[in-house]
Amino acid sequence: MLIPTLKKELQLLRRDPRVVIRLMVLPLAFITLFGFVFNSEDRKAAHARPVALWADPAVAARTAPIAAALDGSKLFEVVAVASEAEVKRRVASGALDVGIVLGADFDPAHGRPGKLVIDTGASPQTTGPLIGSISALVGRAYEGRGPSPVVLVPTPADATRASIENASSFQITVPGNAVLFGFFIALTCALSFAEERRTGTWRRLLAAPVPRWKLLVAKMLPYAALGTAQVGILFLVGALGFGMKIGGSIPALIVLTIGVACCATALGLVIAAFSSTEKQISSLGSVLILIMGLVGGCMVPRLLMPHLIQQIGLAVPHGWALDGYYTLLVQRGSGFADVARPIAAVYGFALAFAIVGVRRFRFDR
Amino acid sequence: MTAVLELVGLGKDYGARGAVKSLDLTVSRGEIFGLLGPNGAGKTTTISMACGIVAPSRGTARIAGHDIAAESFAARRAIGLVPQELAIYDDLTPRQNLTFFGELYGLRGAELARRVDWALGVAELGERADELVKPFSGGMKRRLNLAAGLVHQPTLLVCDEPTVGVDPQSRRHIFDAIRALRDGGTTILYTSHYMEEVEELCDRVAIMDAGAVVASGTLAELQAQHGGGGLEIELEGDEAAIAAAAAAVTGAVRDGATLCLEVRPTWAPAIAAIEATGARIKRLGSRRADLETVFLGLTGNRLRDA
Repeated sequence: MLIPTLKKELQLLRRDPRVVIRLMVLPLAFITLFGFVFNSEDRKAAHARPVALWADPAVAARTAPIAAALDGSKLFEVVAVASEAEVKRRVASGALDVGIVLGADFDPAHGRPGKLVIDTGASPQTTGPLIGSISALVGRAYEGRGPSPVVLVPTPADATRASIENASSFQITVPGNAVLFGFFIALTCALSFAEERRTGTWRRLLAAPVPRWKLLVAKMLPYAALGTAQVGILFLVGALGFGMKIGGSIPALIVLTIGVACCATALGLVIAAFSSTEKQISSLGSVLILIMGLVGGCMVPRLLMPHLIQQIGLAVPHGWALDGYYTLLVQRGSGFADVARPIAAVYGFALAFAIVGVRRFRFDR
Repeated sequence: MTAVLELVGLGKDYGARGAVKSLDLTVSRGEIFGLLGPNGAGKTTTISMACGIVAPSRGTARIAGHDIAAESFAARRAIGLVPQELAIYDDLTPRQNLTFFGELYGLRGAELARRVDWALGVAELGERADELVKPFSGGMKRRLNLAAGLVHQPTLLVCDEPTVGVDPQSRRHIFDAIRALRDGGTTILYTSHYMEEVEELCDRVAIMDAGAVVASGTLAELQAQHGGGGLEIELEGDEAAIAAAAAAVTGAVRDGATLCLEVRPTWAPAIAAIEATGARIKRLGSRRADLETVFLGLTGNRLRDA
């Protein structure tokens, strides 16, 4: 039952161009667009975030463009301080979220990057975008082009936590859009239930000598597999095409991705359970998925949102998934222990959606 | 005769509404049994309960000796369902469709391939077995719909309005296939709106109305029991005289030069009224009751209007 249904669903999906557009073309377009927007010097920010900066006078010629780039970005406001220690003190005390130290030996071209001082114990949802955007800006100012050279090494303010891998803006846009569009598998899954009902094939399936739980699992499994492959491909494109780095454990990344795909598929069952027509599914599902994505920080990093909205973002699986992804992408050497909570939360959401979906699903509607 | 389908006191309620009240029905092996009734009569609900799709509110259904509730899988394995809708995947080929539905019933390997080829042959789709279904005509899709229900060689084939919207050639083909299956020992439960289909195809018929079987038996039995005592009066004369005669006889329905009466009139005044119009009585006789007449007599409605 499972293998025939898996084969059948994949045969059907392969012949539906809308699925490819919804699951692959759109997210890649968004990743590209948002990636370059984040890197653009033309972007506007509503509120500039203060950044403590200490630069050794000996390297003033090299560091002046960096300070100017940060100020000019309108995302950040440079607060010049007197010493490296002062930068660390301000960040450690929580007065500022981030600081930059450009010492006398600052020379990234020869493997001597500066320091990005940050509270590495803070939520990766907060630190990830900060690291990504500052690294991108500084890298661009230093090189005059893309953010590829390592110009800043993230450094803990209290020097007790592990350092973090440098990041580009694609560290934000790839997982953001992968999660946003990964959840669109819920829509595809829910629509497939509605289509089976509309065409009458669902009645055939119900009449077959197959347990109903197996029918549901067999119906949903292909979408969970497809969702995992979709997010995997988007990450692969992000890494190979846009230079996105993966600092942490690949197995943890895979486990988290499977959780996201299962969660999205279970959400599809919920949408199918609460809707009776394809029109209802399209409208209810699209709105729900977009709102969840927005609140969860897929389109705009939660970092840029008010504190309350940042907390609300954790009421949807997207927020947790992104926390996990940012940690695994940005934090060097991060593994299962670092993303245990996000992984548990995502699988918890998947279980909750599955329970609600199964309880509300009407087989014989 | 061995009973393949036995419904005993079977009923279904949706809230306070009784969709099917309490149905008793037995269909024997090798029989084509017609279930006739208007929309909302409860035919599809009855089929859904018999196939295990919907749980009954009361009563039992046994398929080939297996209780649909207690021995659900054995009972379902014996059933082939041909739903009213075109319950096939348009984006697959006929072979892929039949392979999938065969696998659902546990067929594998060479046996599956053999059964798929056989079902393709029944549907006369062998030459187009590996083309996508989407551009097929309605008739071809209907034939594939039928084939999908019998790929696992069921003991009982349940056909829910299987000829809706098909061309006469495909309808003829479906009829031939159903007769051939019956001749091969398959039992068929056939629902339809079309009286003429049921008259032509079915060995026995049950007429359903408002969730209950109001009559059942062979066509001859139904005609004898429920056909009524209708009369036909064939007239001669000009058009105006015949029209006037039709108006003059109470309860007469005109069909060309013939007046049809459901109720026997009082003869002397009726004949006098006809002769007064200038029309002459050419022939007077009993009217043969068809299924439509039987249905009308039982429910008070014509099937198409119900």
